[in-house]
Amino acid sequence: MNTQKTPTPSTAQAQSPMGEAWRMFRRDHAAMAGLLVLMLVLIAGLAGPYVYSGDPFEMVWAPFTTPGTDGFVLGTDYLGRDLLVMLIHGARVSIAIGLSAAFLTVVIGITVGALAGFYRGWVEELLMRLTEFFQVLPTLLFSMVIVALFGASLPMITLAIGIVSWPPVARITRAEFMRIRELEYVTAARACGVSNVKIILQVILPNALPPIIVQAALMVGSAILFEAGLSFLGLTDPNVVSWGQIIGSNRQYILDSSYTVTIPGLAIFVTVLAISLVGDGLNDALNPKLRKR
Amino acid sequence: MADTNTQAVKDQDKPLLTVDNLTVRFAVKRGGMFSKKSYLYAVDDVSFAVKRGETLAIVGESGSGKTTAALAVARLVNAAAGKVDLAGQDFLTLEGEELRQARTKVQFIFQDPYSSLNPRLRAAAVVREPLDSLTTMSAEEKQETIDRLFAEVGLHKEQQHLFPHQFSGGQRQRIGIARALSTQPELIICDEPVSALDVAVQAQVLNLLRRLQENFGLTYLFISHDLGVVQHMCDSVAVMYMGKIVEYGDRLSLFNNPKHPYTIALLSAVPSVDKKRREQMQRIDIPGDPPDPVNLPRGCRFASRCPKVVDKCRESEPELTEINGTHRVACYFS
Repeated sequence: MNTQKTPTPSTAQAQSPMGEAWRMFRRDHAAMAGLLVLMLVLIAGLAGPYVYSGDPFEMVWAPFTTPGTDGFVLGTDYLGRDLLVMLIHGARVSIAIGLSAAFLTVVIGITVGALAGFYRGWVEELLMRLTEFFQVLPTLLFSMVIVALFGASLPMITLAIGIVSWPPVARITRAEFMRIRELEYVTAARACGVSNVKIILQVILPNALPPIIVQAALMVGSAILFEAGLSFLGLTDPNVVSWGQIIGSNRQYILDSSYTVTIPGLAIFVTVLAISLVGDGLNDALNPKLRKR
Repeated sequence: MADTNTQAVKDQDKPLLTVDNLTVRFAVKRGGMFSKKSYLYAVDDVSFAVKRGETLAIVGESGSGKTTAALAVARLVNAAAGKVDLAGQDFLTLEGEELRQARTKVQFIFQDPYSSLNPRLRAAAVVREPLDSLTTMSAEEKQETIDRLFAEVGLHKEQQHLFPHQFSGGQRQRIGIARALSTQPELIICDEPVSALDVAVQAQVLNLLRRLQENFGLTYLFISHDLGVVQHMCDSVAVMYMGKIVEYGDRLSLFNNPKHPYTIALLSAVPSVDKKRREQMQRIDIPGDPPDPVNLPRGCRFASRCPKVVDKCRESEPELTEINGTHRVACYFS
């Protein structure tokens, strides 16, 4: 029997597509810097309260103590509350809302997009009209209505953000599903008798993920901004501190004590910028067309 | 339109696959949302049969419906009408669990080795996919099968843990072949299995396919547009044009004595190394494009490009009629 031998690259590494993406990502300095900043914010939010303890609502010193005086690194706000403690507690809320709202967005978006892109026909027609309906809603206004109607608790704010921001994810997912379902490896899976549910979840979805991951990362940033916007307008849980809420409650004193607004504003700016850098880095790392460069 | 010949073939030697009057159509919307639906008949009333252990080639140009016919036989595209009999089982009417069981008997080798393997699966997982969903083997049995198949198609055991993008085109096609073999199918549909490969690798893969056919007694339905490859591989040939079989016969009779003008033109386009044959051969051009598949002409579909066309051809469509033995042609001049 003449078996044709093919040469084996003896040093060939089993490099998974995701492993290769991580290698690309590590080479991107801006994205790595963003990741570092994100880590710091995350650590500050998680471990901060244990290192620098205090109640963010407690009046600890004279109002408008400027940063650096009397042992208050970031000073105090108009009620004499320690800004550093508020910032640390705010990081938790902002990040938690950012992550959970982005998660909700991705879950709704993938479900709608995957069903529309896979089944086509009337399912797609129906789901895409629904997506367009949500897409043309004025997002801030609609989420304000939800929060105003159902109360300003953290889960409700998360829900309000999630409900208005899933359409882009649904559209991206649908586009990817429409492209991938026509590829031969999906036909091959069908020829092997793989069920539709398994084809959607195990064959198409993993291959559709890269652009969705990028979108989800950027979604975390926009959800943080969204929450800041809502709390600036006072539509937030008064019992928790978030960065937007600090800005909102100190906004009358912006001319006299601008630091009370600038410091939480900078925190939002730096965090969202870091998320964007990570998102861009992910985009470059996961996009095979850029990978060749 | 039951063709008279199928019965004779059956009596002689029962074929593994018998396809009768297979029709596949796609709804085409032209213009606005409320415009009338029209249909594109990608495969129009096609019948053929393949004997166990033999190879039937379906040839034709792009858009002739050969791939769609193959996909319909494997239940990967829904047929509008017709019957597919696979080893005595009516394959088109199976549903659910029965269909899943029957799928072990028909496997597919795809045209493009770059899109037919899931980029996120390692080579071993690609071959394991049909085993997971169609068989109840234990993990050890599966691994044994995979080891055996990798050896069978000429790949190394160490290559099992690599990802598809780390293989060359020919190696990827070998993985695709191993996947098709994994459920021990009786019929393998090869959809232009070598057209995406370069010539040196083509020969390797074709020889591999032939060796596997001998070893396992496989039956091939071989889709191709390359008549050189077809001549090397098949026992009989069906020539398709615009969704219809225009000529059907065993290899020798069809290659030596082509009757349909389209077949003659196709054969004349095959380059020959033999100088004498090259001089004998007259290159026949078929100018123009095929007709609009949605609004097909009334008569013969080839009439618009046929060098022999007469008025009759534009009036009515010629039937596929027997000229000798198993050789059948759909042309008034045969």
